[in-house]
Amino acid sequence: MAEAEALHPEEQLGKAYDARLMARLWVYVRPYRRWFWLAVASLPATSVAMLVRPYLLKVGIDRYVARGDVRGLRILALAYLGAMVAEFAFFYLQYALTMSVALRSLADLRRDLFTHVQRLPLSFFDRNPVGRVVTRLTTDVDVISEMFAAGALTILMDAVMLLGIMGIMFAIDVRLALVTLSLVPLMILAINFFRVKARDNYRRIRERVARINAYLQEAISGMRVIQLFAREEHAFRTFDRFNDAHRRAYHLSNVYEAALFSLAETVSSASMALVLAYGGSRILGGALALGTLVAFFEYIQRFFVPIRDFSTKYAVMQSAMAAAERVFQLLDTPAEPRGGKARSGVGRAGSVEFDRVWFAYRGDEYVLRDVSFRVEPGETVALVGPTGAGKSTVIKLLARFYEVPRGTIRVEGRALADWDTEALRRRIGVVFQDVFLFAGTVAENIALGRRDLGPAEVAAAARRVRADRFIERLPGGYEELVRERGYNFSTGQRQLIAFARALAYDPEILVLDEATASVDPETEHLVQEALRELFRNRTAIVIAHRLSTVESADRILVLHRGRIRESGTHQELLEARGLYYRLYQLQFSAPPERRAAAAAR
Amino acid sequence: MGRLSRYLARYWWRYALGAAFLLGTASLAMLVPYLLKVGVNTIESGGPWRRTAYCAAGIVVTALLQGIVRTFSRFVIFNAGRDVEYDLRNDLFAHLLKLPQSYYLEQQTGDLMSRLVNDVGAIRMLLGPGILNVLNTPVYYAYAISIMVSMDPLLTAVALSPYPVLLWVVKRYSRQLMERSVRVQAGLADMSSRVQEAVSGIPIVKAYVRAAAEEEKFARINAAFTEEALRLARVRARMFPSMQSAAGLGTLAVLAYGGAHVISGRLSVGDLVAFIAYLNMLAWPTMALGWMISIVQRGRAAMQRLEQVFAVRPSITDPPHPKAIGAVRGAVEFRDVEFAYPTRRDGQPALRGVSLRISAGKKLAIVGRTGAGKSTLVQLLPRLFDATGGAILIDGHDVRELSLADLRRAIAVVPQDPFLFSATIRENIAFGVDVVDPARLHQVAEAAGIAAEIGALPAGYDTVVGERGVLLSGGQRQRLTLARALYRDAPILVLDDALSSVDARTEERILAQLRALSGSRTWIVVAHRLSAVQDADWIVVLDDGRVVEEGDHASLLARDGIYAELFRRQRLEEEIAEL
Repeated sequence: MAEAEALHPEEQLGKAYDARLMARLWVYVRPYRRWFWLAVASLPATSVAMLVRPYLLKVGIDRYVARGDVRGLRILALAYLGAMVAEFAFFYLQYALTMSVALRSLADLRRDLFTHVQRLPLSFFDRNPVGRVVTRLTTDVDVISEMFAAGALTILMDAVMLLGIMGIMFAIDVRLALVTLSLVPLMILAINFFRVKARDNYRRIRERVARINAYLQEAISGMRVIQLFAREEHAFRTFDRFNDAHRRAYHLSNVYEAALFSLAETVSSASMALVLAYGGSRILGGALALGTLVAFFEYIQRFFVPIRDFSTKYAVMQSAMAAAERVFQLLDTPAEPRGGKARSGVGRAGSVEFDRVWFAYRGDEYVLRDVSFRVEPGETVALVGPTGAGKSTVIKLLARFYEVPRGTIRVEGRALADWDTEALRRRIGVVFQDVFLFAGTVAENIALGRRDLGPAEVAAAARRVRADRFIERLPGGYEELVRERGYNFSTGQRQLIAFARALAYDPEILVLDEATASVDPETEHLVQEALRELFRNRTAIVIAHRLSTVESADRILVLHRGRIRESGTHQELLEARGLYYRLYQLQFSAPPERRAAAAAR
Repeated sequence: MGRLSRYLARYWWRYALGAAFLLGTASLAMLVPYLLKVGVNTIESGGPWRRTAYCAAGIVVTALLQGIVRTFSRFVIFNAGRDVEYDLRNDLFAHLLKLPQSYYLEQQTGDLMSRLVNDVGAIRMLLGPGILNVLNTPVYYAYAISIMVSMDPLLTAVALSPYPVLLWVVKRYSRQLMERSVRVQAGLADMSSRVQEAVSGIPIVKAYVRAAAEEEKFARINAAFTEEALRLARVRARMFPSMQSAAGLGTLAVLAYGGAHVISGRLSVGDLVAFIAYLNMLAWPTMALGWMISIVQRGRAAMQRLEQVFAVRPSITDPPHPKAIGAVRGAVEFRDVEFAYPTRRDGQPALRGVSLRISAGKKLAIVGRTGAGKSTLVQLLPRLFDATGGAILIDGHDVRELSLADLRRAIAVVPQDPFLFSATIRENIAFGVDVVDPARLHQVAEAAGIAAEIGALPAGYDTVVGERGVLLSGGQRQRLTLARALYRDAPILVLDDALSSVDARTEERILAQLRALSGSRTWIVVAHRLSAVQDADWIVVLDDGRVVEEGDHASLLARDGIYAELFRRQRLEEEIAEL
């Protein structure tokens, strides 16, 4: 299936523990393992400190209160205070360390993800919407960090505590401990019952939440259709149905959760009653001290909370594992090939050759069919053709955004596959039709992060493509901030910035997709001058939308349905009266609307 | 908060019931330490065991009762919260259904979704767990403190002495927690937009070999976010022990001070045990205060955002006294129509004094370049927007004098964007119709030229389309939306560039079939391909919001103006495509 390579959707939940995923996460925790182990070590310390307090209570009652030793009691109170301080210090240490390890290792994971995403082939982004990739790096990684904060380690702490409480109770008095714990199996059975119910219901809830949100999204996007067809009532009924189903699923889960919550409290009180009755009879028989009873009461209260909270923690682990699975799936998506070893060409600098190139984005829907042409160093070649002819594909293939399945593209005499991809791209400057501007200053957008381009170089590049005048008129000049992807600049201004960017890059080969949107005559004049400057002294391949560009090109290649149909200079092709002649009339002669506008005035 | 109190009033008896259950729970909760005290005191004073056993039995009974009452108290209140959420969502959605298209032009779907999901969720938290705690805290305080005071006022004072500190700690940390959380959220949003930008700009990043620079930028944001998250974690790490310590100091005071009382004989061990138990009952509600404050604040902010949605007036509504019109014949007139999109900041009108008329049963074509105002014009007819000047009349009635339902029932529109719902083909064609006529369904599918393709699908008309179903091509979606409009059987049919993704020959065939089917319908066709409009009774050429040429095909060609030029260019395009 074509979808097989796309990333998993959000909705799946599976195991709460997956050794394979944990091992992969460990790679990221490893650099911080000292802190991690320190955190793990402070876990039982926290638990021990927590467990000491009821025991001190017992000692206080049996040894000091019973004997009227006020001074002993004071010392014991100090010990109690000490235990408290220790507990909280260890808790702080444990939590702060855990989170610090978690956040730092996940920051590393995020960095690796980002680096990897940058190296994914363009075909990946054709299949996966931007939002999904963003979710992997933000929300999903965040969900994994929840595992550290409220999942794995706290489960460990709870386990230590439960074992500790049982150990102490048995150490103090085996029979009383057995009586105390007699209700635990019942509790676990009951909790399990509710958990199974709650789990099934949880699945239902997820479905219904997804359904109501999907419908909402759809209804908002399709509001026009609903209103046009006067189907508001129908839409409302549909929404009401989903909304009601959503509410009922939650009603049920509220019942389960309330029961689960109350159950722990009830069993805990009932256990105390058992201890009171059984322990009381033994104290009266002189076999047990009163303090023991009190200590047991305290231990019981601490015993049932972790059992109750286990299901929440289990759910956290499940979500974290599912998120980790998705994150690692992204990390495992193959990056684009690094290419060969060659960092320079073997032929003449700036030459390009397409040799019987075939290309399809999907299956066998070929966009390019057997395309062959050569561009000599310094030549300017214009690509012309109707929409969908394959012009922009030529550009994308040259920049090696996609691999060519059949045929060969050679740059400077070397096949693309043999080039080191980065070295290749350093020789080719691309200007896309849609100018993409990054958040930052104008200068940063021209330099694109290159440190060797100082303000002087940036200004020089801008000057050469005539962008200097408008930039200098900006309130912030070169430091003017680009907002909302550059929509505070006009189309013409954005183009000039892109030209400056390309010129500063100073490539051997310039590849340019002219923007179709028309600009005002003054800017048009600037753009034409800038283009002339850009094409000077380098090889240029241009998807042409301007008459001036086709007229001044050394050669024009006419593409139609993925094939090169005509080739020659503007004059030659016009005289041939073929495809180009018609395209010329359609695309390069003055469009009718402009004439109409002139006539209207 | 007027709206909230209305919802609360609707469910007042459930909240009252919940409150009664809460009170019951608290009362039973108070009984347990008391029974414990009596039991322990009995043991301490040497029996009889039977009395202790009674106490134990009493505890079991109390615990069982308490379990039941507590279960009820929680789900009664939480469910009421869910019901308010349900009502609120329904009301919001009903309101959204009434809002004009001009609202949706300015509103981002994501933002609306966030209000309907996150903000409504925040209200639900306020009216479920929030209210539960608001009711619970004072009850536990009043109960436990009065019992403690009745046992030993001085000891109570000592035990509660750390509580002002605890309250201060809670307040301080919940403020810090909130501030830090907001910053972490902002950091996450920053990171999202950074990643979003980097991913959108990937072609440039690759072409200019800028990955390293991008990684550096990301690393800075990543580090800043991690730093904020660490700060938040540190606040959390300090908060819990600080609150526990303050609460623990109370127990310690009871132990040290009360222990001395026991030794001096003023207090029994059972009293001490009960005292500590009552004190423990206060610790949790106090610590939960901070959480409650944040729930209330978030709920209030969420309600404000929802009120903003409710405050948008549905500007396109039925007139106070709609004219009753019987069967619409379908004569349409635009009289000096002016229109400017409210979203256009410069106030440039999209239509400048457009006048045209078409009698019932005729075919009107509107042509012109992109942005000339063609779609805008036809959207005014069913009042998706209201004209800012002039009037639009159907059979001589101003569209604003008719009820929206009557008006829209008279017009079947095939919009430019072939929007389909994630539902079956049947549900999409017979959109919002309860009883579907299968013969008619097939007939309109046939007329729209999609019947054969539907027949070829394994599930036929029951095939689910859209995001979660079968993916259709643009042309297939357009033909389905055409079938949907035909199923309405309205006297006026509007095709707004509705077959642009269908090839020219298919378009011609479909239009010919439509013509045969349409009978006495009035047609308004916005078309890009002139071949589709040549047979229209009247052709209007729009440019820059004005009617610049009009006439039938032959007269427009003879005029040799924009229409003739457009026609020539399309001939040229066709020729090129043939080559």
